[in-house]
Amino acid sequence: MIIRTGLAGPFPRPEPLIAATRDLDRGRVGADTVEEVFRSTEAEVVGLEERLGFDSVTAGYLRWQDLFRPFAETWEGLTVGPLTRWLETNTFFRQPILLAPPSRAPGALAARLPPPLRSRPSAGRILLPGPYTFAEVSDNRSGETDQAIIHRLGRALAEEVRELSGLGFGTFLFSDPLLAVRTPTGPAAEAVVAGYQSIRSALGPSTSIVWTYGADAIDAFPLLDRLPVSAVGIDLSETDVERLPPGKGSSGLGLGVVDPRTTLGEDPAEVARVVRIAYDRRRPAVVWLGPGGPLDLLPWEPASRKLHVLAAVRQSLASGGST
Amino acid sequence: MTDRPLFPSQEIGSLAKPRWQLLGQRGEPLDDAARAEFLEADARLAFGAELPDRRDALLAGKSREVGGEAIRDLGALFAIRTFESAGLDRVYDGEARRIEMYEYPIRQMHGFRFQGHVRSFDSKYYLKAAVTGEVGLDHPYHVEEFDFVRRHAHAEPKLPITGPYTLADWSYNEYYLARQPGWKGRGARHEAQREFVVDLARRALRPTIRALVDHGCRVIQIDEPAAGTHPDEAALVVEGFNAATEGIDAEFSMHICYSDYRALLPELLEAKRCRQWAWEFANRDSAAHDGYAVLGALTEYGDTRDVGLGVVDVHRDAVESPDMVADRIRRAVKYLGDPRRIWVNPDCGLRTRSLPVARAKLEAVVAGATRARADLENPRR
Repeated sequence: MIIRTGLAGPFPRPEPLIAATRDLDRGRVGADTVEEVFRSTEAEVVGLEERLGFDSVTAGYLRWQDLFRPFAETWEGLTVGPLTRWLETNTFFRQPILLAPPSRAPGALAARLPPPLRSRPSAGRILLPGPYTFAEVSDNRSGETDQAIIHRLGRALAEEVRELSGLGFGTFLFSDPLLAVRTPTGPAAEAVVAGYQSIRSALGPSTSIVWTYGADAIDAFPLLDRLPVSAVGIDLSETDVERLPPGKGSSGLGLGVVDPRTTLGEDPAEVARVVRIAYDRRRPAVVWLGPGGPLDLLPWEPASRKLHVLAAVRQSLASGGST
Repeated sequence: MTDRPLFPSQEIGSLAKPRWQLLGQRGEPLDDAARAEFLEADARLAFGAELPDRRDALLAGKSREVGGEAIRDLGALFAIRTFESAGLDRVYDGEARRIEMYEYPIRQMHGFRFQGHVRSFDSKYYLKAAVTGEVGLDHPYHVEEFDFVRRHAHAEPKLPITGPYTLADWSYNEYYLARQPGWKGRGARHEAQREFVVDLARRALRPTIRALVDHGCRVIQIDEPAAGTHPDEAALVVEGFNAATEGIDAEFSMHICYSDYRALLPELLEAKRCRQWAWEFANRDSAAHDGYAVLGALTEYGDTRDVGLGVVDVHRDAVESPDMVADRIRRAVKYLGDPRRIWVNPDCGLRTRSLPVARAKLEAVVAGATRARADLENPRR
């Protein structure tokens, strides 16, 4: 079993960074002070990812206010809308509003990547919203159909991928939880496939992972198996692993094996046992281990402990000590 | 149903704290703006004379000497009189002593450990606890707060308290999840959450509510803003509500907001001792969308309980006209059939708005109810 490990979403801000950002809001400190805390925290996250042997690093995407904000604030045709609940959580994002068909602003996303990633692109993992979730959570006032928007967002994301690939980045993770939560069918499903085909055409030799969470992904597999990506990720805390359909051989399988909805630490041996069940049912070329959703649903300390569990699961699987 | 005049009015919870209270409870002297704010409010509501030692200490810059709680007394009395001067039939203290609705109740219990801050959005965070042991109550809470309101309110007090489902949903579940055998998948998580909610209801909420009732509290609003987050857990919201209120003789309502109420039905209707649904409607109401049409679902299910009708939006500064409020009430009558079932209130707590805007919205609630009542009693006027 070939195993890869890494984050699948933003990491939480630690208490000193929380205090700094609050102080900035209240006018008690300047932006330079907060920037220093961001930089030291990003270095800490990268250090943790490297010490735990993760295959690519993220630096936590600590500066992003939410998954969509860097795009809603910089792409043509988009603007930032009202606070909206993120799935079934007590966290919120600013709903993107599509005023016109979206088009990217060259260089804008690269400038918003965590600085440690910009300095070492080959080790970096790029986090992007999946085109389906992006379209579904947006307020579409563009005059185009929702299906057309899915496809257009796919093309705009493909342009981001093309630019970032040119800068040396090789791993792209598309956070697309609604593929499992509200699985598209009919024309919407075809638009999702078309969107990811656009992305595929821009990837070159890079790795692409679609990560779902928040719901049992079993019913989404007929669609997930059609996506031209290196791997599809599912949330093991939600998905009935005994019902996983057989895999297609060459594609990878992402498994969200630590649960960001509880601070309770998982038993690595128990997780490894369930991973083996999933592996035996799908027989993927590569298993990508990660959290079952964004770890910023947890405070820093419990989230850090979850990363150690992730590393321990990989160790358990590698040593064959899963049963 | 009530025997009151049609469309009695109530508040739902919080008011913004005046600057003079915030400074005073920190022991800081008032600046010019805070002093002017206090003097204007006192001239209008004449509440300072009821607590002269606190008023004098505040104005003399001696808040530290009387202590933060004494200044909060003054803030609570200000809120009570604000509600009463607007003409509300049921009032509370604007949650003048509370900072939020989660951390304080949890700190009155044992079995919890705070884990750190989680981002709500942007650079806004909230402290979140995990349940790490069996839930228990250190001592009933909100009792002294209620005693103050009971002693000072001329209108009928209605106490808001965070419900067990919301307290559980906003916590991490360690203890009860760890007790589930094997893989902690969806089934294990659901059962663990059920045990958590019921324990919170029985061991913490119910003894607190009983203590409040023993102190004379007759009307209690159980706040369950998390109910709409997981519509598939509506039955669990109800189980918590029923366990928290079991064997207690009081008038209970359930406040839910910004949710798809239809998705919670019919399970929600099993809340046995709930006499009123206090829901937000105005926020979703527009020229293009009748925000009150969802009330038809209650009629479809044959539910005849009272409804606390949100008639002003707490997320917009624009103040609704009495005509708009009256129109909303009339539409609710159309969907519910019996006007005697309707109470009127803001959608939710008004702390999101400035005090002048909140006051104007409360006055619109009462004026709109008066107009709707007159129209119904004399339709040809």
